[in-house]
Amino acid sequence: MMTSPRIHIAAAILAIIVVTFAATLAAGMIGASIERTLTVFFISLIGVAGIGIYAGNSGILSFGHLAFMGIGAYAASILTLPAPLKAATLPKLPGWLAATQLDLLSATLIAMAVTALFALFVGWAIGRLEGSAAVIATLGLLIIVHGVIIGWRDVTRGAQSFFGVPRETGVWTAAIGCIVALVAARLYRDSVSGLRLRAGREDPISAGAVGIRIRRERLIAWVLSAAIMAMAGALLAHFLGAFSVKKFYFSDTFMLLAMLIVGGMTTVTGAVTGAVVITLVTELLRRLEGGFSVFGMDVPPILGTAQIGIGIIILFAMFRKANGLAGLKEWEERVFRPAAERSETAKPAELQEKSTLQADHLTMRFGGLTAVNDVSMHVETGEIVGLIGPNGSGKTTYLNMLSGLLAPSAGTIRRGAVELTGLTPPEIAEHGIARTFQNIRLFSDLTVDQNVLVAALSTKGGRDARARTHAALDRLGLLEKAAEDAGTLSYGDQRRVEIARALACQPSILFLDEPAAGMNREETEDLMARLRGLTEDLGIGILLVDHDLHLINLLCTRIAVLNEGNLIAQGTPEEIRKDPAVIEAYLGLGKEHQSARSTKREPQT
Amino acid sequence: MKHVVLSTFIAASLAMPAAADTLRIGTATAQTGALAYADAPTMLGMKMAVDDINAAGGIGGKTKIELVEKDVRSDPAQTSIAAQELADDGVSVIVLPGDSDPALAAIGVVGAAEIPAISTVASSPTLPEIGGDYMFSNFPGDNVQAAVSAKWAYDQGYRTAWIVYSPDTQYTTMPLYFADVFTRLGGKMLGQSTNTLGQQDFSAIATTIAAQDPQPDVVMTSAYEPDFPSLLKALRAAGVTSQIIGSDGIDSPTTFSLGEVGEGVVFTTAGFPTPGSALEKFNKEFEARYGKAPDTIYSAVGYDLIKVIEAAVLKAGSTDPKAIRNAMASLENVQGATGTITYAGTNGMPIRQVSLVRVKNGAREFVAQPTPDPALIPEPRME
Repeated sequence: MMTSPRIHIAAAILAIIVVTFAATLAAGMIGASIERTLTVFFISLIGVAGIGIYAGNSGILSFGHLAFMGIGAYAASILTLPAPLKAATLPKLPGWLAATQLDLLSATLIAMAVTALFALFVGWAIGRLEGSAAVIATLGLLIIVHGVIIGWRDVTRGAQSFFGVPRETGVWTAAIGCIVALVAARLYRDSVSGLRLRAGREDPISAGAVGIRIRRERLIAWVLSAAIMAMAGALLAHFLGAFSVKKFYFSDTFMLLAMLIVGGMTTVTGAVTGAVVITLVTELLRRLEGGFSVFGMDVPPILGTAQIGIGIIILFAMFRKANGLAGLKEWEERVFRPAAERSETAKPAELQEKSTLQADHLTMRFGGLTAVNDVSMHVETGEIVGLIGPNGSGKTTYLNMLSGLLAPSAGTIRRGAVELTGLTPPEIAEHGIARTFQNIRLFSDLTVDQNVLVAALSTKGGRDARARTHAALDRLGLLEKAAEDAGTLSYGDQRRVEIARALACQPSILFLDEPAAGMNREETEDLMARLRGLTEDLGIGILLVDHDLHLINLLCTRIAVLNEGNLIAQGTPEEIRKDPAVIEAYLGLGKEHQSARSTKREPQT
Repeated sequence: MKHVVLSTFIAASLAMPAAADTLRIGTATAQTGALAYADAPTMLGMKMAVDDINAAGGIGGKTKIELVEKDVRSDPAQTSIAAQELADDGVSVIVLPGDSDPALAAIGVVGAAEIPAISTVASSPTLPEIGGDYMFSNFPGDNVQAAVSAKWAYDQGYRTAWIVYSPDTQYTTMPLYFADVFTRLGGKMLGQSTNTLGQQDFSAIATTIAAQDPQPDVVMTSAYEPDFPSLLKALRAAGVTSQIIGSDGIDSPTTFSLGEVGEGVVFTTAGFPTPGSALEKFNKEFEARYGKAPDTIYSAVGYDLIKVIEAAVLKAGSTDPKAIRNAMASLENVQGATGTITYAGTNGMPIRQVSLVRVKNGAREFVAQPTPDPALIPEPRME
């Protein structure tokens, strides 16, 4: 299932096919030399698209993808190498391999499958790492595979060149491979998995909270991109006819990454743009490398001109266009801007079944600091419970425990008879508990519609995701802004998108962490009305954290007060307003009491 | 009007002179990277030969030579691409890098385009064998060099040997040929060690050899820089006193600047400037032109390469690639800078001079220039 408007996908695929074919035909008319340049370009583009599927969507730069390209090249070449040559150059090959001699297509497909399998294994391990550790791990992958290829002489000829591969990759073969790779990359980007992965790239924490299992999505992208890299490797090997392990190491890694970075990692448009720019510049400079004469003046050969040129382009791109020449959007997303697709049938709101979220004796210790100390609380469906307390009193920590972001040091969380303690955020989301964040955590580069849709797709098995998205946007009054990028909205609107996103998970319990922060009075009033609607129409239970006591008093049926990690009061707004402990926590002691309690730090409000 | 004149001028100055009386030789050689130590000096010799021939009016007094240069950065894939570009460009002969690995990367291209190709200094005898009709070599084969050095060692009274080789390239497996010949002569191999190309630390190998009791009379290797100096220093530091025998890969200034540790090393190469020899004359001319004597034999071998092409074009009477290839395969006794060169009767591996040189007082000392015994030369084989 595609998550973007059909016109985007259709326009993108059509453009990929038309442009690739047109370029191929044009090159055929110009001459063999241009055809070969175009073949190399197409193969590079397959590689760039392959790296982009993983790096662009996950946001984790990979230095290791050339390893997959190498595995693909060797695997396919061993399968197509003529048997007599194999006997001469690889005498120690196992018998069944030595006798095999396949055509390019079968060999490529097998190489892709083998590489994908290997990637599945590697990705399972590397996928556990985050951030720069993951990037360094990909570098390790490149070096290890390089070492294994050199060491495995009987199969790979070690560091020597692997030659005699049938030169079967023509410009049309490469063109078809290129179309397959670009279409795969484009479809993946807007597939359910691709959208989830991009959401995870923007914000892994809130992605988890809306039910996205980010490691699984990363693994899917990793394996798919490895298979595409293997195709690039197989085609390259059958274009060159001879190669060595050096071809799949640092210099080509940086060449492909340069294309990806200069063009823009996150889009297929960017991959194509970068590949075009870098190829043109390289070809131009390489031709000048051997020296040339203009106006009778001889310019001497300067070796390495091409590399220097690419270096300068990367520097320029980093300084002036950090997101790449193509930016963060596909060309068709800029050209065609249809209104968000309407849901087929807006389903009538369903009233949630009655149930209670019960947290008992929750304690959270960070080293020696006890952030939350033995706090019990419950939220029932259909009610709004306020959680207040001075800054640093443990409110957000408490929410983080309830939503699975932190595992409590002690205590239990139950939903009816179901034990929720220690579950991960996606599992908590699956149990009908959704949340927003104190510091807005939207998927800034995705549209409002996509922000909400990805949550609907990632919970309740993704059933009726479109309808749920529409209903959530409608309820928060965001339909008009559905096509805009979430990051460009006003502060108040961003808060509402976060609530809509949480709502799209179809929760029975909703945690809102300072939803009115930064809103003006009218926006707050509007928000209050909408929140009341959630409990009255949908029967959702809300746990509301806010500093706006006016809002809390008007909305909540019950209020709990935390101070320095302890629950100091619980009750109706009336009761809370009169509670001396609450008054002390919020306003401090009067002068007459200060001398008696002088050791206690004055609480802030 | 001004524009037309200007653009015509630019077009004219950028266009290649493609007249019929020009022989265009494409060079896809390693001017940078690991093989530059051989291909860069070879290029100097080639350019000198081209200038000499052109100054005399061209080949046969009419065909001027033009070099179309590409750097392949010592990379096989880049060699394949550059060779293809040269073939597309319509050159008559292609010069390939000085190692059989990158040179082999171009076999598909030169075979399909039917353009003769010569490697600058690749000495693996399997190169023309696997490379087919259009692949030629320009250097004494590994098996020939090994036969010469093994015979010399045996004749010196050395009876035990140890080899150090690397399976990473064809060239660095030359010691295996040496072991063959040495054993056949009646010598005894005490053992062998392998290294990887670019290995930093040879102390484990050195310790193993030093621990032999008695130590081998000879340690033979075809490692070249940066590996050879490291290996040599490690051997001497570990107390190995054996005669070290190397190959043409160490015919470079580095070997002669190693000081005490390099003294006494003997290696095979493609010629020696004995008094009155062609090579002595070449070295003088080279010095007159470039301001210093050639650092290595490779410059003279580069000169030879162009002289071979010249002879082939003269014999073919045309610049047609196919005609040149057929003429080249039947050349006999072409006079080059290092001596005479013969391709007739071979599969593309030339018959040419092999000299033995010793490092003495930081300079080259002539050891011998024997004619290799055909019965001793091992069959070429792929490692």
